[in-house]
Amino acid sequence: MTLLLARFPFLSALLVCCIGGLLLVLLLPAGKTREIKWVSAATSGLTLFISLYLFLAFDRNIGGLQFVEKRPWVPSLGISYFNGVDGFSVPMILLTGVVFFTGVLTMWDLEKRVKEFFAMIILLVIGVFGMFMALDLFFIFVWYDVSLLPMYLLIAIWGTTRKEYGAMKLMLYLLAGSALILPGIIYLVVNSGMGTFDLPALMVHAAFTPFQQKLAFLLFYIGFGILAGIWPLHTWSPVGHVAAPTAVSMIHAGVLMKIGAFGILRLGIFLCPAGWQYWAPLMAVLAVIGIVYGALAGLRQTDLKFVIGYSSVSHMGVVGLGLSTLTAEGLNGAVFQMFAHGVMTALFFSSVGYMYDRTHTRMIPELGGMAHVFPRASAYFILAAMAGIGVPCLASFWAELPVFIAAFRVYPILACIAVSGLVISALFFLRVIRNTCFGPANERFAQLADMSPAAQIPRMLLAATIVMFGLFPFLMYDTIQAATMTVINRLP
Amino acid sequence: MEKTEPGRRNWKQPDRVQGSAPGVRPIERKEKQIMSIPVTTIWAAILAAVLPLAAFGMILIGCRRRSSTSATLSIGAMSMSLACAVYLLATHGSAGVPLAFAKKWMVSGNLHITVGFLLDPLSLLMMVIVTAICFLVQMYSLAYMAGDPGFGRYYAFMSLFAWAMISLTLAPNLLQLYVFWELVGLSSYLLIGFWFEKFSASRAGKKAFIMTRVGDVAFLLGLLLLLAHHGNLDILNLNDPETTAHMRPMVITLSSLLIFGGIIGKSAQFPLFTWLPDAMEGPTPVSALLHSATMVAAGVYLFARLFPFLGHSPFAMTVFLFIGTLSMLMASCMAMVSRDIKQVWAYSTISQLGFMIMGLGAGGYFGGVFHLTAHAGFKALLFLCAGVLIHAFHTNDMFEISRQNGRRMRITMTCMVVAGAALAGIWPFSGFYSKEVILGRLAALDNPIWLLAGLAGAFLTAYYTFRLVFIILFPRPEPHVARDAHGGHRESWIMTVPLMVLAAVTLVLGHLERPLAALIAGGDSVSKVNGNPAWLPPLAMGLCAAGVLLAWIEFGRKGARQSGFVEQWPVLTRLFAERWYLDRFYAWLVDRVVDRGASAWCAQNDIRRIDGAAHALADSAVNTGRVLATWHRGLVQPKLMVMLAVFFYLTITLLF
Amino acid sequence: MTVPYTHVVFLSGMLFLLGMLCLIIRRNLIMMLLGLEVMLNAAAIAFVGASLHIGQLTGQAMTLFILAVAATEVAVGLALAVCIYRRTGTVDPACIEGDQCSL
Repeated sequence: MTLLLARFPFLSALLVCCIGGLLLVLLLPAGKTREIKWVSAATSGLTLFISLYLFLAFDRNIGGLQFVEKRPWVPSLGISYFNGVDGFSVPMILLTGVVFFTGVLTMWDLEKRVKEFFAMIILLVIGVFGMFMALDLFFIFVWYDVSLLPMYLLIAIWGTTRKEYGAMKLMLYLLAGSALILPGIIYLVVNSGMGTFDLPALMVHAAFTPFQQKLAFLLFYIGFGILAGIWPLHTWSPVGHVAAPTAVSMIHAGVLMKIGAFGILRLGIFLCPAGWQYWAPLMAVLAVIGIVYGALAGLRQTDLKFVIGYSSVSHMGVVGLGLSTLTAEGLNGAVFQMFAHGVMTALFFSSVGYMYDRTHTRMIPELGGMAHVFPRASAYFILAAMAGIGVPCLASFWAELPVFIAAFRVYPILACIAVSGLVISALFFLRVIRNTCFGPANERFAQLADMSPAAQIPRMLLAATIVMFGLFPFLMYDTIQAATMTVINRLP
Repeated sequence: MEKTEPGRRNWKQPDRVQGSAPGVRPIERKEKQIMSIPVTTIWAAILAAVLPLAAFGMILIGCRRRSSTSATLSIGAMSMSLACAVYLLATHGSAGVPLAFAKKWMVSGNLHITVGFLLDPLSLLMMVIVTAICFLVQMYSLAYMAGDPGFGRYYAFMSLFAWAMISLTLAPNLLQLYVFWELVGLSSYLLIGFWFEKFSASRAGKKAFIMTRVGDVAFLLGLLLLLAHHGNLDILNLNDPETTAHMRPMVITLSSLLIFGGIIGKSAQFPLFTWLPDAMEGPTPVSALLHSATMVAAGVYLFARLFPFLGHSPFAMTVFLFIGTLSMLMASCMAMVSRDIKQVWAYSTISQLGFMIMGLGAGGYFGGVFHLTAHAGFKALLFLCAGVLIHAFHTNDMFEISRQNGRRMRITMTCMVVAGAALAGIWPFSGFYSKEVILGRLAALDNPIWLLAGLAGAFLTAYYTFRLVFIILFPRPEPHVARDAHGGHRESWIMTVPLMVLAAVTLVLGHLERPLAALIAGGDSVSKVNGNPAWLPPLAMGLCAAGVLLAWIEFGRKGARQSGFVEQWPVLTRLFAERWYLDRFYAWLVDRVVDRGASAWCAQNDIRRIDGAAHALADSAVNTGRVLATWHRGLVQPKLMVMLAVFFYLTITLLF
Repeated sequence: MTVPYTHVVFLSGMLFLLGMLCLIIRRNLIMMLLGLEVMLNAAAIAFVGASLHIGQLTGQAMTLFILAVAATEVAVGLALAVCIYRRTGTVDPACIEGDQCSL
């Protein structure tokens, strides 16, 4: 039995499960919305289950690559179907599972073009899962683009405010990014002289000159950085968040932005350590600007989703800062922040989406007194905001603290500025809480109903994740830790 | 694995200078000590901290709507914590060696974060204070909060606070202390804004959170600095003279000042004190517990906790002394003109905390801690008395309470006079003794200005305290206003029992000075306690009496004008009532500089410059496309023209 | 045989050029068709001249073809022009596409 488990291709199973769900959804008649929703929920539940199993079964003591599967795909070009997870990708896969499942449940009340919506969501998630598990540069690029393209339709069809503009802006930015990544990949593969797209092999055997590493790292940093929302290439992200429907915002901010940071990590940092070291100061400066700037720009916004969008810019800055420290603590913190921010922002969008569906407004001045009308939804909202502020015992704190500790040692002044940004982000979130949730009850919304137990399930799952990893951060750090040293040791 | 390039990892050099890595050493030491700590002690400490958390979780998940269950859970957990705390104090209070226990909680690279507890007289005493007052206030709240729709939520937040505060008290390293320091701030935010339908309450909660956050950022930076230069945040290790001997004085001073930033925020000292008066928007028991006795005292507690370390920097100590003095005097001035009973006690809290910091800054470890203990008792009592009055008369205005004949609540008024006397520093109440110790320390300083400031503070304190007491005790006869004749305000015993307990403590505590000194400061410093010059106690008493007398002349005696001497100068009155214009300044700062300045600039920058550049790029692409498209419109004429041109060109080049 | 062959070729070249300029420059479909006619006729003149010069009749046969083609072309072209004019109210080819009348 254990042997069977050990040899079972869980990673492919994850993909197959999603693809099977996609086919089932496509085969069902469009009118059977109930069945389509159940199939999607079952698919996402199964993926959550598998990703949870991967997270638990991943051996933290051994580290390295695990659950490896390798089949030749196009041998003449050196392309292979090569999957495996390490301590960085396991948390990301778990994150994707959680956000996917809760996102599908969040959209349970959808009525417009149900079949197409869920098909697109599943397609998007296939790309995301593939990106996190692929170890072949070719497949990384393919999965990356698979995860991007459905976004356009999802936003342009099911979106709200300025949806065509938002979808187009997002798409153009992200494709511009992928136009930088592909040359980077080809440049490295050609210069390696090995004729293979195999990432671990390139890592170990290819000897890139420092110049090659610097160039390729810059390409990857900018290309993936657009998706990770680095300043000043971030403006697509608030607009896209605002335009997207709830579940898409959740996946977008929760998982898709992480793909960007993960891509920098996987391609840039793994393959080009010298480039990483060379460009680290630039990364740090941009990240700190993003932290402070995102919080400041968010202060002025009146649309709730814009507010969260800018908070994402600020929080992704912490990821960037962690990556730029060139230390194990910073790297661990950055990966943990990717996870924590993903869950937190998903909870944020989920509770805002609930309020928006009922009140049909996201304008902060029109809301107010939500704690009377939706006590449960407000509680989740406040919890997410507290996580965003970085209150201890919620997941983000344990991400931000090590990043700041590491950053302070390497860039003391930048770290001081970033830490001061905490005040602004507190001001930012508390103001939003106060103006939406607190205050006298709003007569307009008095008869609206609070969350039903069923609607609470996804939010509760997200909240529980935040609190659990906030109380027991070692559950996550032990996993991440297993992958860090391989990267740090490669620094020249 | 270990790389030694100076560029990338030179921040780890101090580790090597000291031989073995200090990031690991204290943990090893503690692991050895586990053997020597009895299992019951470990469990008692863990239970005391974790039980309120369990109560919080259970109330929040299970029974937010069932008020009696939630109150039972919370008070049950609290009484268990209290029992554990008393047990620990009884068993370990006299032990000379501090007991430390730490367990690895999180490892990330070279960063080892541990949780555990540190049991020494200071933390045990603080723990007993915290649990006892938590317990009393939760009992009191049964009556005060009865019938409130958020009853269950209230008890949940109270338990959250108790957990955070107890864990803060027990923290063996500064990182754990910081974690719970922040959590205490969170529970303060939640409890101040408990009645969230009031805009003023949620605003006050926000303000409290932000202003303490400003201090906390400094605190965090101080910790980062210590971590970077020392690599260890263990409190015992930092207090060890050997440690500081290895550190550069500059680093010690800077980190001391930064850590003091956190103290300024949490203990509401100048210039961050304006959040505390606003925090009175919360329920009165919350003010009694958080904003007078325990949470705001956490700043002073941190000072006492790190006293040996902070004491290494004379410059920093002078700054602390200065800030404490300034806060004490400024807050006393504000207290003289306020009409709101809770505000007066809030200002007095700031002033007394400033006084504690003065004591500590002057090097009087025992004085600061003793005053902290005494203050926790009598200030909680004052707030709880105010709570009874506010509960009965539904107003915070002291003149209004006086008009409605608040003095008929005899138990409450008696307790209030007792606590007021303690606050004013009148013999034989606890405040007298603790103030004497601090004043003695101030007298020992070279510069007499600190003692003068301390004495002035004592005078002002006596004056504003008895101003309030006399206003309520001796209402002005107003014949044309119909008195509340039936006098139906009965004092509920649930509320009065905690009052009486605290009043008894206030009476007794002062006489326990010697045992406390022996407990806190060790045997050697007991002799120093009574080393005050002989002229000091009569002088201090005389000033207190003068303050009370002035209050009596202005507010107490028959036919008094009921207006203080400050009110003869409208400018001064206005300055004090406006809180030295600090609030205005902060409002201006947030509104003009942050909101309309930096924030607006960033938002505009996004739209104008960044998006503008992106749009310009997109537009230029479109325009280029449009120009190029004209060549592909299917029009024959341009193509013919090109053909012709090419033909001519070829002809000419080929022929000639 | 008073006209030298080079003169004929020069005449036809000039006519062709004039026709082409007319075709390129004019903004009127009818005038463009006229230009086209002129170009065809220029070619026809060249053919006739050449057939005289070489002494074969093939060139003159080509001229007949050209006349036929020109006739049909004018018929179809004018019909199209009329049609376009009815639909769009203009015979400017640049305006027919619906864009601004630029270029």
